[in-house]
Amino acid sequence: MVATLDGETIEQLQPVMGYLHRNHEKIGERNTYIMNMPFTDRLDYFCSLSNNLGYAPAVENLLALGKRYEPPTYRAEVIRVLMVELTRILNHMVAVGFLLNDMGAYFTPMMYAITERELILDFFEAATGSRMMCNYMRFGGVFKDLPERMRSEASLLNDKVRDENTIEYLRALINERLPRAIDQFDEYLTGSEIVTNRCMGVGVLTQADAIAYSAAGPVLRASGVPYDVRRADPYSIYPDLDFDVAVRYHGDVYDRYLVRLDEMRQSIRILKQILPLLDETEGQPFFAGSPKYALRVPAGESYGRVENPKGELGYYVVSDGGQNPWRYHVRAPSFINLTALEKMCVGQKVADTVIILGSIDIVLGEVDR
Amino acid sequence: MYGQGILRGLKVTFQHIFESYMDDIRWNFRRYRSPEAFPERQGVAARGVFTVQYPEEKLAVPERFRFIPFLVVDNYDHPDEERRGHDWCTSCGICAKVCPPQCIWIVRGTNPETGRPVPEPEEFYIDIDICMNCGLCAEFCPFDAIKMDHDYELSSYDRTSAHIYNKQQLSKEFRYWQSIAPTTAEEEANARGGWEHKDVLKQQAKEAKARAKAEQAASDTD
Repeated sequence: MVATLDGETIEQLQPVMGYLHRNHEKIGERNTYIMNMPFTDRLDYFCSLSNNLGYAPAVENLLALGKRYEPPTYRAEVIRVLMVELTRILNHMVAVGFLLNDMGAYFTPMMYAITERELILDFFEAATGSRMMCNYMRFGGVFKDLPERMRSEASLLNDKVRDENTIEYLRALINERLPRAIDQFDEYLTGSEIVTNRCMGVGVLTQADAIAYSAAGPVLRASGVPYDVRRADPYSIYPDLDFDVAVRYHGDVYDRYLVRLDEMRQSIRILKQILPLLDETEGQPFFAGSPKYALRVPAGESYGRVENPKGELGYYVVSDGGQNPWRYHVRAPSFINLTALEKMCVGQKVADTVIILGSIDIVLGEVDR
Repeated sequence: MYGQGILRGLKVTFQHIFESYMDDIRWNFRRYRSPEAFPERQGVAARGVFTVQYPEEKLAVPERFRFIPFLVVDNYDHPDEERRGHDWCTSCGICAKVCPPQCIWIVRGTNPETGRPVPEPEEFYIDIDICMNCGLCAEFCPFDAIKMDHDYELSSYDRTSAHIYNKQQLSKEFRYWQSIAPTTAEEEANARGGWEHKDVLKQQAKEAKARAKAEQAASDTD
């Protein structure tokens, strides 16, 4: 970013973007619909699964215009929500860890966060085949059902084997490990005078400004707007689930941190409701219809949006009935939240811009598509 | 009182330090050596240090793990001599079509005498610099001939020539696929109806049918 200073005070600030631009949208117009799925992983590389979830319904809505369309099965929706909520916890863990890193608590809270993330990633690796670039959702369901056991195979290359029952692993993770970790974070950081002194009243974004900049996600909710796509425009099985929208009213860095903690707790609450559903739907089909590599997508346009951990993620897809989308656009939450950076930073000190940037929680893969 | 929050926070830090030593004592200082300790210190119940000492100990990857694809060929000691080292790939080209970064290049095989296509690729290249390990080729291959590998240590000294894999480098025995993904291989075999390649099974079914017919005819004439 380019900042104009008066001593130590920021007078003007402009984020300079485009260093990671890689033609995502144009490539999306060259790709067929299914080929674009792995590319969506690369947008926000911390939460590839929720990126997938945004893209899948956008194309499913288009497919629904055609004659033979089978909506995703219930089991598929349950698995999708399970994955997405785990992603949300993972992302907020990392976001809080990096925020503290920016504040100068060099890597200690970060490593505590990453330990928990590691456990979630182990589950992702066993279920989807990859730790970060999951490429798991398909139009009409998911790639494969959850594995019965999270087992690794020893080979000549690597020999440290683990073997665990997936459902029991998830149960232990969701019921004990993650809530304990979140509580520990709360105890560790929330009351700490260093954190409160650095964060309170810093980088304030008022409610009106947050709406004017069309900010989304924790940045918007910390400014006192209880807007969550999961409630405002419910998708998947969210209408049946019981959870609250976390909201805080000061709009400063501290409140954004608190909103993230609250959201992790709400995600745990959702996951606890998902666990019995997983048992109930055991053995049901996880994919509607048969997987096809060349889709017949009727002409039309659709906008699929989900509540990504970083904010509202939208995919705008226009089809002309051909093999690939005619127009493909991504509304990336990091990019739009970043535009509000100047508003938050003007009048603050140089050292504070770093933590304000940390509190927006951007991922550059998504800012520059 | 000012500073109380910091003290409470430091308590958590000290707890973490304490736990890492507690674990060493619990495993009698053999935490990194005893094989039983490993799943425990990398599991949900783990406390304390969470590190895998990478070059010394390597984490085995789960079955679905995917890295650069490889081509399945029949075992080199296959009972049928003609099938030994035979490609499962029929060069239909679906993998090349579905590949998102378009890193697969196939040359269809032809019989040099008749000039007609044979169901085996003449050449098969994958540019592993471009491959994004998405696994779509393995997912949509109708013959289970291309599979995702588990070998993730691919560093080489020369990036200009060593990173384009040809057919010989890509081919691996079917036995290898069975060893890295036993349950998936079994599922696929059940779907195909046997452990052999789809075409071989079809041929076998045809022969069995013909034999049954001949026997039927023989018994009819009796």
